[in-house]
Amino acid sequence: MTTSSDAMQENLIGTPNKVSRKILLTNVQRALLSPAGIVFFGGMNLILVQWVLVREMTALLLGTELVVLLVSVAYFAGLSLGYMLAGRVKHEWLAPLGVITLVIHLTLPIWFRLLVAWLDSVHAYAVAFLILPLLTPVIISAFYSIFLPLFADNGEGQVAGLYGTELLGSGAGILLLVGFGSAGLGAVFTVYSIGLMVILLALGVRLKVIIPLAFVTWLWLLVLPGVNNWSNALWYQTLYGLPAGTTTLFTGYSPYQKVDVLQSPSGARYLYLDGLNHFGTYDGQRLNVVSGQIPASLMKPQNALVFGAGSMQMAAMIADHAGQVRTVEIDPLVVDVSTRFFLDYNRLNKLTNRSITIDDAKHFIANSAEQYDFVATDLPAAYSIQTATLYSSPFFAEIAHHLNLGGVFVANLTSEFTPDDEVSRRIAAGLLANFKNVMVVTPESVGWSFAYAGDHLPFDRAAVENALRESGEKTFIIYDTSAVRAIVADAQPITLDSMDIVLHVSWDWVKDRIEK
Amino acid sequence: MLNAPPLDTAISEGPKIVPKPYHPFYPTLVGLLLGLLQTGLFFQLTFTLSSTFGTFLLVTLCWLAGSALGVLYLAKMTTGTRVFLGVALLAYAACGGLLALFPFGTVLWPLYAALILITGFYPGVFFGRMSRYFPARVLFARENNGFIGGLVLGTISFMLAGRIVLWVLPLVVAIVVMWLDRGGQNKNA
Repeated sequence: MTTSSDAMQENLIGTPNKVSRKILLTNVQRALLSPAGIVFFGGMNLILVQWVLVREMTALLLGTELVVLLVSVAYFAGLSLGYMLAGRVKHEWLAPLGVITLVIHLTLPIWFRLLVAWLDSVHAYAVAFLILPLLTPVIISAFYSIFLPLFADNGEGQVAGLYGTELLGSGAGILLLVGFGSAGLGAVFTVYSIGLMVILLALGVRLKVIIPLAFVTWLWLLVLPGVNNWSNALWYQTLYGLPAGTTTLFTGYSPYQKVDVLQSPSGARYLYLDGLNHFGTYDGQRLNVVSGQIPASLMKPQNALVFGAGSMQMAAMIADHAGQVRTVEIDPLVVDVSTRFFLDYNRLNKLTNRSITIDDAKHFIANSAEQYDFVATDLPAAYSIQTATLYSSPFFAEIAHHLNLGGVFVANLTSEFTPDDEVSRRIAAGLLANFKNVMVVTPESVGWSFAYAGDHLPFDRAAVENALRESGEKTFIIYDTSAVRAIVADAQPITLDSMDIVLHVSWDWVKDRIEK
Repeated sequence: MLNAPPLDTAISEGPKIVPKPYHPFYPTLVGLLLGLLQTGLFFQLTFTLSSTFGTFLLVTLCWLAGSALGVLYLAKMTTGTRVFLGVALLAYAACGGLLALFPFGTVLWPLYAALILITGFYPGVFFGRMSRYFPARVLFARENNGFIGGLVLGTISFMLAGRIVLWVLPLVVAIVVMWLDRGGQNKNA
């Protein structure tokens, strides 16, 4: 293979210092532009594009465990495709393929959203579950995995050296994401573009092509924030029926998920995590009333804990009736957008009895030395294995262990508690296994059920009924412990060894969305 | 373009040509095993250490570093590949055992990092040594296909059958891999 490093013949004339600097520069250039340099930047860019792709596609296909698995398989299938193509791709195709890859990848979030929005608008959203995973291997990961086997099989390097270098590139990609990931899509794409242009240079693309390409890339990166926000809002308007004129206030990728904040023309704000609504609807606000405000107003806890941030409205409602309220959230980006865009709801700038801890809920409660009067959850449903662990019996046991006498734990049952609803019955079964009293409330305004659990509940059914009515809830059902036990019947608690519930929830969610 | 030689006659190009002593599915099975090990490590650590990004970094960076050490240095040693596989399994088991004994004990994370690094030696050694028996494109494609299988099998079977599969499946596949591995030590070292 002929690379531009072969053409680099420096004129090493000058002072000894200048000569040694030139030699150093030449060596660096040679290393960057060699096959090893190509696989290094290939490894780095694979990690960077995976960061964007996984979050974007997961959100577009409505972030459940099955979707994450589907996206991961599609990404890795692309690697296999690249490996297999390595014996068939000609060297002269690589540079044009690289340019095409640059264009596709830098525009990927935009046209993926437009494609899915269009499919949904013609009532063919289900097709997205076929098209995106089929497109992914071809357009995302295949290009970068061609290089290593191509060079190794053509005798342009040893597998050991090339593979080791690619691994180092992957490590560098991860470290770059740690450093720049929070700076947003523009920062990630800037680093990505530089990496791909070095590869193009190494593939022999001349500077007279690279420079205009870099200029066009720079222009695109300048307009990207606007286009990114526009396409994001369009997708949510189409998929969720948000009003025309809805704008994106924030869209970004955290290490855990895609986080979006949107605002309707009337000023209503919405929070979406991995494409799933977390706050903004009327029932979402009623959820915070039933899970936070009502039990807190009835018991006036001194020390309260809320797992999950979201808008942090629930924590604010609890804080109105509590001594201290601590919110534990795993994702710092969620806390960041909540404090920036949902101050009207969480009143963090006014309430003085609030604190926030960034940690995994399981890790936090297992290591907490504190005891609490009140614990509530503001978590996504069990769409993924990780969130399902927060509905498991071992997690409930840890919470029970940290509750004071007369303390209350409020759990979202994530669906309507009925004899034929598996999810809510299994969550309730986990509560019954760890608490003596479990009262379940199903307010009509929300449409699903919540449980108040504790060994000695400090309020009774009548008090809850009154509080619900005072809060404006007209129709509701309350089940006391014996009724809960009867409906739960033989349902088994969710444990780390019985996560089949995630498959069901994940599948049902996707099916419901497709059938809409 | 490289025309692939028949797999049952000769594998690599140039002076490295050697008869292929390995079963064609060997890289796929190793990939399957690696997929299961990575899935297992990730699940066990996120369940009983912490599911923060730090855990993801711990698994990914240590695995990558172990693999890089394996392919660049350890593959040249005379120690048999099966020994590295055994060590990887022991490190995996030690990781799971420690997590069971000391759940959410983040003070132990350097130990977990070391154990994952050691587990990562094996894939590095595997690629470093197998490249003389398979063309790189065949080796990486088959291993990667197996890895995808491990990812899917590990995730789905865990959801259906629980944590026991994170122990049983890697062990079963490792036994088959060891059985298919005909020595595997670096004879040219």
